[in-house]
Amino acid sequence: MDWGAVVAGLLTLAIYSFLYRDNPVYKFAESLLIGLSIGYALVTFWQTAILDKLLQPLFQQGQLLLAVPLILGLLMFSRFSRRLSWLSRIPLALMIGAGAGAAIPAMLYERTLRQVSNSIQPLVTSDSQFNFSGLVVLAGLLSTLAYFYFSREHKGFLGGVAKIGTYFMMVFFGATFGYTVMSRMSTLIGRIDFLLTDFLHYLQ
Amino acid sequence: MNSQRTRWAIFASLFALMVISYTITLKWKIPTSPYIQKSYEFINSLPPSSVVIVSFDHEASSLPEIQPISHIILRHLFSRNQRIIGMSLFAEGTAIGYQTLNKLANEYGKKYGEDYVFLGFKPQHIAAILGMGESIKQVFPQDYLGNYSTEIPIMQGVENYQQIAAVISLADGDRTVQWIEYTGKKHGLKILGGFTAAMITTYDPYLSSGQLYSAIGGIVGAAEYEGVLGLPGKGNRALLSQTAAHLFIVLLVIVGNIAYFRKRRGEK
Repeated sequence: MDWGAVVAGLLTLAIYSFLYRDNPVYKFAESLLIGLSIGYALVTFWQTAILDKLLQPLFQQGQLLLAVPLILGLLMFSRFSRRLSWLSRIPLALMIGAGAGAAIPAMLYERTLRQVSNSIQPLVTSDSQFNFSGLVVLAGLLSTLAYFYFSREHKGFLGGVAKIGTYFMMVFFGATFGYTVMSRMSTLIGRIDFLLTDFLHYLQ
Repeated sequence: MNSQRTRWAIFASLFALMVISYTITLKWKIPTSPYIQKSYEFINSLPPSSVVIVSFDHEASSLPEIQPISHIILRHLFSRNQRIIGMSLFAEGTAIGYQTLNKLANEYGKKYGEDYVFLGFKPQHIAAILGMGESIKQVFPQDYLGNYSTEIPIMQGVENYQQIAAVISLADGDRTVQWIEYTGKKHGLKILGGFTAAMITTYDPYLSSGQLYSAIGGIVGAAEYEGVLGLPGKGNRALLSQTAAHLFIVLLVIVGNIAYFRKRRGEK
């Protein structure tokens, strides 16, 4: 008997018991899930980051330069002291600076410029065909931007365009919600599959 | 019927409908969408023994939806004798990735270290993605099992992204965006994605701009891929259940609207 599957099956049923009402069995399973997730993540972080990348290279292989990130990391804990908390700004500033330095060029190009350039499409294609989707993109882009333009009151022409923008957004939200419902159903199907195959052995 | 009873009736009917439809096996032809075809053709076009990174960038909660995608992708890669470097940018994805790779590798008689390897997890995902552009072995000095990367046969000659044919990110969040932003253009690397259905609209702009090469979305995507590959699996089986659930929800929306308008007319 696969005891792992039995435990997982019972815990799945314990979680679904919430559909009846909030109860101690559900609470136990939920707490166990959260505790295990955090415990697993902590052990993985400790092993892959602290041990592999810091303590072993520093103390066993003598890579003394790693003392710098160790000290910077320890400075983060100075936040627990009112007198020394200002020291934590040093590693925080470095982290934010390095993060922004790495992220800004990549995001500016890949997230902003590439997306803007992709939004600008010719209305007549190279083979003299009318690009209808280009027109839809243009209308959607301008009307949605008009909705988020708050420097003028949404009345008259601007109000009309902004209203069209809300319809484009509704289409987007509808599609996103539809996909989200699909995702939730898929998750349930996954559990049904587990219960019918691994737990009950009803299906192969 | 009071609202509590209505809720019960809806949930119980939906659950029963999904369980029953899941047990029914139907053989149906699923039309292939362009991006699934593109993914399939790309993997088919890779020369044998190309090195592909498969990154398990998801957590356990999305496993039911991601697993059919990861299975069919790995089956396709292994059947084409591609070499796979597995990794994860989520702590929870680590054990999942290792187990999935081993399971599928066993199906195709592939050998750990020669045909595939699992490097494990690295925190600070942006630093890890950027670092691998310089040296994969420096970011992952050891694999998941503690073997030194320099001594693993599959890693011989693999220094950075220059030797990688593509990155396939199996994600339930926005980790693939970081693959796109930090490797795509910079290293000329093709990024393919396998996503939960809820994430598809997030990646649409990247797909249409070509920054993301192709995507497989949710159980439908997995079922389409299984269809084009001719290997029906869990995606195919789940599709009937999902279709039944959707039809039921659409029916509920229609009934709910009729009830609402009738009630409003009665109030007038």
